[in-house]
Amino acid sequence: MGPHLKNIIESLIFVSLESLSLKKIKSVLTEFTDKEIEEAIKELLESYSSNNRGIQIIHTGGGYLFSTKPENDLWIRRFLKIERKNRLSSAALEILSIVAYHQPITQAEISSLRGVDSTHSLKTLLHKKLIKITGRKKSPGNPLIYRTTKKFLTYFGLNNIEDLPSEEEVLKLVDTEIENR
Amino acid sequence: MDESKSYQVNLNIFQGPLDLLLFLIKKEKIDINDIPIAIITKDYLEYLDKKEKINLERESEFLFMASLLIHIKSQMLLPRENISKEEADPRQVLVNQLLDYQKIKAACSILRKKEEERLHEWQRTTFPVSYISEDTEFSEVSIFDLAETFFILISKKGKENIKIIKGKDISLKEKTREMLGYLQKNSYMDFLDYFNNQKTIREALISFFCLLELIKTKAVIVTQKSLFHPIKVWLKKENNRWGLT
Repeated sequence: MGPHLKNIIESLIFVSLESLSLKKIKSVLTEFTDKEIEEAIKELLESYSSNNRGIQIIHTGGGYLFSTKPENDLWIRRFLKIERKNRLSSAALEILSIVAYHQPITQAEISSLRGVDSTHSLKTLLHKKLIKITGRKKSPGNPLIYRTTKKFLTYFGLNNIEDLPSEEEVLKLVDTEIENR
Repeated sequence: MDESKSYQVNLNIFQGPLDLLLFLIKKEKIDINDIPIAIITKDYLEYLDKKEKINLERESEFLFMASLLIHIKSQMLLPRENISKEEADPRQVLVNQLLDYQKIKAACSILRKKEEERLHEWQRTTFPVSYISEDTEFSEVSIFDLAETFFILISKKGKENIKIIKGKDISLKEKTREMLGYLQKNSYMDFLDYFNNQKTIREALISFFCLLELIKTKAVIVTQKSLFHPIKVWLKKENNRWGLT
């Protein structure tokens, strides 16, 4: 307990390349009780959110991750010589949201929802590891089924799949769009 | 005129027939529950007329949409004997599909916003490691160890009964460049592997001279975990005297 444990956890998050889950932290810090660890994490997060620092700890992909503050984006890009980050194409984003909401789903189902063939963008998403193949559907032809990955969550800053905007939120947006017409 | 211009530009963002229908519906400012197929079909045909070049792939999707609309319309026109509640309105299928698609579109815009936010936050993608990482605590090897390994290799190569027609002459300078390039790309080089991959004894010999030269000028460092472990060659970070970046 105390500042010591807090520091250890901070270091663990620092050396971790992907978001570090609570489970993983607990499995490493066997000397401490679950309660102590949870308290220390809470303290750590508080100290980061109150401090005016250039980096922050974000809770995403089911764990914790260091990231820079969004307001420093301009200078970071200048430093790294990156004009702008690549965004997903609208086709890829469409497929991704279909997979996210309808998973597990097959390629044929995705294509029929979109009314257009989705093979190419699906490959791109697989390559980017935003979706993965998790098996085959027990139906004629045994088509492959797709799900979103942990990287998908981190990419959109979601903590878990339940964090996705709910059906009601989506419907509300659809309604306002129809009204605005 | 203005209208038709924006119409053309917008078409570039279409992904499929549902997109087209959504767009046409928006343009006509109509409720999707009441699709006036005649108007949309007319609109679509107008669009086709205006097009100078036809992108077959996209047009086939548009054609699919148009034929679907016409199919629905024809079904509406045909008198049916028993109108059961189940198959009441052929338009309903399309409306449902469109509603589903609108939901997807809405979800997309939410995800796009989240993506935008996240793109401003940066994470390290690789951990900044020095050229020797923690699992490689090596001791430096002497020139003699190196030489010994080399001669073992050479005798192996000598046994391979290969006739060389005409070897390409490689200069020491060229080879040094190649080796440094390799080191820069691969972070380290496995001594044995590297020389095994040389095509001829002559080339291997030249590489070996290069390596000795590089060690002498302290451009590289050679390490070995313990006796009989692979010998590894590392590039010394700050060295840049060979003009490679």
